[in-house]
Amino acid sequence: MLSAYLPVFLMLLVATLVALGMFTATSLAGPKKPTPEKLLPYESGSNTTGASHLRQSVKFYLTAISFVVFDIEAAFIYPWAALFRDLGWVGFVAMVIFLAVLAITLVYEWKKGALEWER
Amino acid sequence: MTDAKFLLFFFCAAIALAGAIGTIASKLPLRAAMSLLVTIIALAGLYLTLDAQLLAAIQVLVYAGAVVVLFVFVIMLIGPAPETSSAPGSVVWRMLSLVGIAMITATFAFSFVDVASTWVAPPAGFGTVRGVAGEMYTKALVPFEIVAMTLTTAIVGALAIARSKTASELAEMKRRRVAEDASAAAQPAE
Amino acid sequence: MDLFTQILLAIAKILFVVIVAVGAFAPVLLWAERRQSAMMQDRVGPHRAHIPLPRSVVEGLRLTLKPLEAGIFGSFFAAGLAIVALVILLLSSRETLFGQEAKTYYLAVVGFGILGVLARVGHKVHGGIVESGGKIALLGLLHPLADAIKMIFKEDFVPPKADKLLFSIAPILTMVTAIAAFAVVPFADTLFLECATDVVPRDVATVMACDGSGGVATAIPMQIASLDIGILFIFAIAGTGVVGAAIGGYSSDNKYSLMGGLRAASQMVSYEVALGLTIVPCFMIYDSLRLEEIVMWQHEAGIWGIFIPPLTIACVLYLFAAIAETKRVPFDLPEGESELVGGYLTEYSGMKFGMFFAGEFVEVVVLGALATVLFFGGWDVPFLYRSGFDLPGTWELVIPMTDWVIQDTIALQHWAVIVIQVIAFLLKIAILMWLQLMIRWTLPRFRYDQIMKVCWKGLLPLSIANILLTGIIVLLWT
Repeated sequence: MLSAYLPVFLMLLVATLVALGMFTATSLAGPKKPTPEKLLPYESGSNTTGASHLRQSVKFYLTAISFVVFDIEAAFIYPWAALFRDLGWVGFVAMVIFLAVLAITLVYEWKKGALEWER
Repeated sequence: MTDAKFLLFFFCAAIALAGAIGTIASKLPLRAAMSLLVTIIALAGLYLTLDAQLLAAIQVLVYAGAVVVLFVFVIMLIGPAPETSSAPGSVVWRMLSLVGIAMITATFAFSFVDVASTWVAPPAGFGTVRGVAGEMYTKALVPFEIVAMTLTTAIVGALAIARSKTASELAEMKRRRVAEDASAAAQPAE
Repeated sequence: MDLFTQILLAIAKILFVVIVAVGAFAPVLLWAERRQSAMMQDRVGPHRAHIPLPRSVVEGLRLTLKPLEAGIFGSFFAAGLAIVALVILLLSSRETLFGQEAKTYYLAVVGFGILGVLARVGHKVHGGIVESGGKIALLGLLHPLADAIKMIFKEDFVPPKADKLLFSIAPILTMVTAIAAFAVVPFADTLFLECATDVVPRDVATVMACDGSGGVATAIPMQIASLDIGILFIFAIAGTGVVGAAIGGYSSDNKYSLMGGLRAASQMVSYEVALGLTIVPCFMIYDSLRLEEIVMWQHEAGIWGIFIPPLTIACVLYLFAAIAETKRVPFDLPEGESELVGGYLTEYSGMKFGMFFAGEFVEVVVLGALATVLFFGGWDVPFLYRSGFDLPGTWELVIPMTDWVIQDTIALQHWAVIVIQVIAFLLKIAILMWLQLMIRWTLPRFRYDQIMKVCWKGLLPLSIANILLTGIIVLLWT
């Protein structure tokens, strides 16, 4: 079983080497001439005010938690889809119930306005 | 257990431990989250040594791809914490906690060493997508459905914390704002 | 096969994928995209980068232009004479003309025709180089290369207050996850090592070795790793890549970067869910998560996924989600210069920026390859089997006045079949990319709330409905 994963590890290794190679090349070859203006955070020419970390909309949090929930849902659906034909109607009904509960979740979010981005 | 698995086990275990130490030792929240990502991916490697392929993939998909992303989101939302030094615990307490850790480690180590278990080859199809699906969707249907309920609970909880305005509430707010603007415009400037 | 051979084979395949798909194919697609978008916007597009030739060489080239022209004229004239001879032979139903058989004239037409066309192309290229004063521009194909060189030698800027470690990890993470996702994509049929120069039987489960030893031929799957989890590997790896954009934006110490990073991550995770759910009907129909089995199913059934009704819907939804997932125009809100300067890339410079850019483009190629595998038959070429072409029906075409015959079956050596399949696979990806490009450049940029709304209120419910629809159809049909 593990031998099937050997090429994957090699692939990750090669990809990392390629990325590190590019990274090192640019760090070594590029000139470094810092000036006070260059070191300021770039804000289209105007001076930056306040902390560089703004408070962000809580919408992003809601999106993230919805993503976690539906990602787990997807993780359950993939094995089911691969065995779908063998499971037949029983498996199908089980998945319909599963999806129905999550559809209710989605409708709940929808109605509560968690999917609205206008302010 | 074959030699390759043994090698992979120690490699992944070392990385997982290093990541775990990084997670608790780092003072910057995002670096801690990245260390956690390292631990999670190393754990997926440990699942591979146990022939649990699907579980390894799900581990990376859900934990590295979703849970860590959620952590990163939250860290990005709240911004950096104000600089705080770690709590000034006394030397005695630190010593005591070290002793506690050593005792717990020893307990676990000896309890596992005592178990005279032999390595059993897993049955055919163990840990594959079809193997897990066959078990899960025939013998574990009720827990499977309960998972959906649990996920719903998560959403309900998140909405309770961070509920935003519904469409009708937004319309109401807008109407009120327009009315205020209109009344402000109607009054003569002082 | 022993471990050493396995590692060697794996490395050979990895190098093939990294060099051909990432190193050559992606830049060429990037060039094609720029060229096409320039055409649509009535610009010249990439044409400046060139290799200069010394003055003396250019002068030498100028002298050889005239003889080439004569050569073109000569070859087309000869081909014309041969056509006239063929027409005379056909009309007069004679056997020979000037003591030559019809075969000779056919060969003459083809030979002189090819020669003439080659000379014409050569003349054009040659003339172009001389005209521009010795610049070999290759239609602007050198631009991606020039970009790479330029980026390497640009200042490697790191904001002083940035988290240097995370700032450096972000582009590496993006690049590694994009490249590694190729590991499970099959790019051709199984290669039987000992039979490379023989014709392999069409529908045999185990192919015998062709060297006469009587053993079974060594089967080499034309994909880097054949995993049981198949497509889950791509999603697991790509999901981790989201972190790259997020930490890049966070660690840059810039408000625009932070907002861009948040937007990018938020958009990518939203569309990742939609993307994952749109393709579930494929697994229900193909009955597997393994990409090589998915392609094989389409190859054996003789029908591509897009022509199976539920998958047609899935394909449209997938392409929509794939364009949005890769954050390209018109979904490039995280980097929308009118709102966020450069988004999470604002503070990145040099090759670090280039790595984000390249990673993003490789991701586009990966998603294109995935679409090809799931909906367009992967490496499958219509009527091409292991043994060669087998066109429908039984017929043969005799070329008039010769003994040359074209049949409905054309046997091909094994290596030729594999090469055709690889080329077909790359060509399909290129066509899909071109389609995406046409969609991209004809639409204005969306608003952020519109993007999120389309995902959560449009794609997600539709793809769930499509899963149920596919389930009912498959269960009633089987």
